[in-house]
Amino acid sequence: MGEKKLRVVNYLNQFFGQIGGEDKAVLGFMVKDGPVGPGLALQKALGDRAEIVATVICGDDYFAENADGNAKEGARLVAAYQPDIFFAGPSFAGGRYGVACGAMCKEVGAELGIPVITAMNEENPGVDLYRKYAFICKAPNIARGIPELAGTMVRLAFRLLSDEREEDLVAWENLPKPSEYNYFSRNLLRNELCGKSIAERAVEKLLAKLQGKPFESEVTPPVFEKIPPPLPLRDLSTCEIALISDGGLVPKGNPTGLATRSNLKWGAYDIEELFQAWEVAHAGYFNDHVLNRPDRLVPYDALRELVEEGKVGKLHGTFFSTSGNCTVTKRCGEIGEEIGAEILRRGTIAGAILTST
Amino acid sequence: MRLEIESIDIKDIREGPETRAREGVLSINPKELEELILKDPRIRSVEIGLVKPGENVRILNICDVVQPRCKTDPEDADFPGFIGRMQTAGSGRTRSLRGIAVIVSNPGTNRKETGVLDMCGPIAEKSPYGKMKNVSIAPTIADGVDERDFEDAVKIAGLATAVYLARAAEEHPVDEVEVFDLDIPKIDPASPLPRVAFYYQMYTPQFDYLATSDPCFYGTHVRNLTPTILHPNEVLDGGVVGWNVVKAIDTYSIQNHGIIKELYRRHGRDLNFVGVIGVCANTEPASRIRCAFMAASLVKNVLGADGVILAKVTGGMPHIDLAVAGEECEKLGVKTAIFTQPLTPFGTLSDTILFNAPCLDLIIAASATFERTKIPWKAEKFLGGTAETRIFCPDPIVQYAGDPVIDIEEYLLPGVLDCTGNARVIVKEY
Repeated sequence: MGEKKLRVVNYLNQFFGQIGGEDKAVLGFMVKDGPVGPGLALQKALGDRAEIVATVICGDDYFAENADGNAKEGARLVAAYQPDIFFAGPSFAGGRYGVACGAMCKEVGAELGIPVITAMNEENPGVDLYRKYAFICKAPNIARGIPELAGTMVRLAFRLLSDEREEDLVAWENLPKPSEYNYFSRNLLRNELCGKSIAERAVEKLLAKLQGKPFESEVTPPVFEKIPPPLPLRDLSTCEIALISDGGLVPKGNPTGLATRSNLKWGAYDIEELFQAWEVAHAGYFNDHVLNRPDRLVPYDALRELVEEGKVGKLHGTFFSTSGNCTVTKRCGEIGEEIGAEILRRGTIAGAILTST
Repeated sequence: MRLEIESIDIKDIREGPETRAREGVLSINPKELEELILKDPRIRSVEIGLVKPGENVRILNICDVVQPRCKTDPEDADFPGFIGRMQTAGSGRTRSLRGIAVIVSNPGTNRKETGVLDMCGPIAEKSPYGKMKNVSIAPTIADGVDERDFEDAVKIAGLATAVYLARAAEEHPVDEVEVFDLDIPKIDPASPLPRVAFYYQMYTPQFDYLATSDPCFYGTHVRNLTPTILHPNEVLDGGVVGWNVVKAIDTYSIQNHGIIKELYRRHGRDLNFVGVIGVCANTEPASRIRCAFMAASLVKNVLGADGVILAKVTGGMPHIDLAVAGEECEKLGVKTAIFTQPLTPFGTLSDTILFNAPCLDLIIAASATFERTKIPWKAEKFLGGTAETRIFCPDPIVQYAGDPVIDIEEYLLPGVLDCTGNARVIVKEY
């Protein structure tokens, strides 16, 4: 008995879906049986192992009007076919089309947990928006070389469905190499085995630098944004102040489940209750002092005194907590924005004290 | 300073009536080794196990790994300041056994993060120690002994075991002699080769357990050390040892220090190796800056280096010490290669850099020490712990050594990653 044929769904826009040009970009979703347009090349590359059972088509303008909502609708159409693989595009440098392909991949991947593969040119805004969520193969900026591109997409799809592990990864996962499979890296970092030791590379590159020869840094240093400090509060005695910390102070039992390292979450806790029973979720500093006396991380005692003395108007009843240890700076920025938005939403808080470790 | 390391390849180990190496086979009398370890009154008892590659054994609560070595001249001190009297390490002859390691466990530890080594399965494949014949020792604490004091006793028991095993190979033919001969004061100032120094971060106090630093340098800790000049042989020959816990660093890797050996290999040919600056990471900005200026001045004005490699230990904060010192070196005209260890698996490599200094333009991606890996391998037998020993994971998940899969960070797998530069690993964007 042969293996069961894999089921595939492809997403295309109105143009590649052979509905029409820009004048048809306003049309909503429709579904055609089997492959259409570039889907024929994909089908050829898939061979006998898999079959494109349906093509979901949507106009670029229609999709762009409500990308998130439309991706949900599109994903429902895709799910009805119970596919094993989902392809979107290729969308080359088409901006609206690229975003639609990316949004469809993100939604289908999250809902069905199957490999989601698309192809774009590096200039396509869809690359940076969706590289985290989809395997985006590298495509030229105009619609040519479709058979080769289809081959690349299909090869990657079959690789993802295999249980082959990448032997060059120290963690030995099933994660194909971006350079080998010609896709945009997905914002993941991995230890990879290397022909040369860390010491050999360091000495070799330093010698090149010393000799004035070209040398290649293994990391391109970042450029950081400068953030101007806000204006100070005029009269603290009328202000309600909130306490925030990235030192991982949480109620006993860590109800939000903050991770001690590479944490991505934050929590809002009743400060009075927290100071009855607490623990620390942070593996980046020596916790004992805070376990003994959490006021040394979050100055609850000092602030209460200042309120009693009338120097500070009020202490806000909620403490905002996160664990800032090896969290990537981008997520730290998001956490800050989320906490900031919550503080603004509460409407009464004039200032916040953020203590760090 | 001249050091000769005489290596003997050990092909097999077994229990026997006497501890002695013959024709590549090391016979060990466990009773005698036990008596030696129990001489320390801080130790109540010790579990000793001999393990070989392919055996279904998981070794737990590992705090150090040591290569069996001893000085051949009885007048010389082994691991000076730790078990031998104080003397400058790095001269004379040292006997070294290859293909064998002492795996040191502290089964009663209250630390959350401890090392794990399997003798079979994925960890054994990834770690050089998983391919060796190993002597596991796991001492237990005597009544009334302080927890940190006992940790020192465990580490010293590991070093003493390493010396004991190496001494058993006296009169055994030597397989290879490596000579580390470097007379720094006599390096020709007119030599056209660039002068290269090594900035060696030995320790960081940020993880200090129970607010005490681990001794790792001639018997003492380095928490308050200001940058100091070392001869590289001192590092290779027992002057510097591992911490009281494995964090991608252990005595074995220091005894075979990757960067020092590589600088030696190219010394006199492509560069002149002018010395090592031993430093400790700092938790206070004032001491960090003081140490950075001192280190840069030693590199430039005392060692006269043209270039320097700055390598770090595990952790986020040590990057900052490295970067501040590196910046000062570049300001003095010393060219730098600086290590980074990305702390998170998300983002681009550039996102993970913790410093902001355009002059630091040569950055080495020296492994992501906190990378997590799932080990789908169920152990049957345990040393240094039991099937119920908790395995650390930074996520709030509860897992034990006997589970069919464990989710663990690679810096806790001794030998897999290595802060001395031996690992053939780079960090790539996926």
